[in-house]
Amino acid sequence: MNKKDHDTVFKHTGYKREDFSVCLGCKICASVCTANDLALNVNPQDILISLFMGEEVNADHALLRNCTNCYRCTYACPWNIRIPEVIRAVREGLAIESEFEKAFKGSLRIWGRVYEPYIFLKVGTLLVKEGYLKYMTKWTEYMSFHLPHKVKGLKSLNSSSGLNGSKGRP
Amino acid sequence: MDYAYYPGCSLTGSARKLDKGVRRIFKMLGHTLKEIPDWNCCGAFEFGDRKDLVKLSGENLRKAQGVASEVVAPCPACSRNLKEANEDDNLKVYNPLDLFSKDFLSGLVMKRDLKGQVFTPYYGCVLFRPKETAIPNPNVMEEFVTALGADVAGEKMKDRCCGGAQFFINKGNTEKLSRMILDQSKGTILLFCPLCQMALKTFSINEKIVYFSDLILYVTGEENKL
Repeated sequence: MNKKDHDTVFKHTGYKREDFSVCLGCKICASVCTANDLALNVNPQDILISLFMGEEVNADHALLRNCTNCYRCTYACPWNIRIPEVIRAVREGLAIESEFEKAFKGSLRIWGRVYEPYIFLKVGTLLVKEGYLKYMTKWTEYMSFHLPHKVKGLKSLNSSSGLNGSKGRP
Repeated sequence: MDYAYYPGCSLTGSARKLDKGVRRIFKMLGHTLKEIPDWNCCGAFEFGDRKDLVKLSGENLRKAQGVASEVVAPCPACSRNLKEANEDDNLKVYNPLDLFSKDFLSGLVMKRDLKGQVFTPYYGCVLFRPKETAIPNPNVMEEFVTALGADVAGEKMKDRCCGGAQFFINKGNTEKLSRMILDQSKGTILLFCPLCQMALKTFSINEKIVYFSDLILYVTGEENKL
């Protein structure tokens, strides 16, 4: 993600470039980051500093694909910076979207709600390929089937929440 | 008292049990949950633009106007998003755990105690973070079970992440994080988040995992099995 695309992140998060000037490298975010429980050895501060300095954000930064949205970083940060939201905005700027996220938004476009059977259908190949099927019996213990409900005024809802157009790179 | 009720998407499917439990508890306490008509998804964690989340959840708050002045949303991700969208504070938005104080639950008649039992209350991330939308009492489940004579375990893991948001993205991450929590737990795991429930249940071996609402129904004699 180059400097020009940084504007997407600032627009999406409401932060300004100078807001990240307060990040002085205490690394407290890294010390509590859940991704480091997975031995990924990440430092969320790298992303904030790149955005502040106007430098390229590395699309291969492990946090872009492994952030769990736990907000432990935000909780610990002396400036309360909402790093998971910055990461989500960077992902969108880089058009990084998992099959699940695509299915999730697809369901919202059709019904305005998440209809779980639709999600399962859309990510069916992934479920088979990644070995999720062995858990199916556990899921059937508590899942219940229902027909989808279509929310009224969907067109305007989709357009106001950016689901109609392609978001991401400006 | 009347509350506007926002079940959210998972409570109509995979977390139906939580939905039913919360509705029954509020009914037992003499409150009415009035479902927000034609509610839409809150946006969960899936949007890169914060404004999109606020718009989706704000639409639900608009639909709640006139239903009641206080909104209850059991799913922690939904209650978090609704709280964040409630920018002009027109309504009050609660997760049931915001409300489940000793005083609020005092109307329940306990028909069972929990002596000799051990519970691991597990809150996960969203009920505690960000600070602005966190539940006010981080020991609400502990206080409930200890008052009924139970022992509590797993304190260190109660706010750790189960990796639920990565469940369909990086299964291996969710498995490792969930197993860390499961391995440190003792007795029955109590939780309130549908995403945590799905992650922990999927990667559990023999661990017993129940919604806190199920425990309330059990001790009040509404259910005979936990």
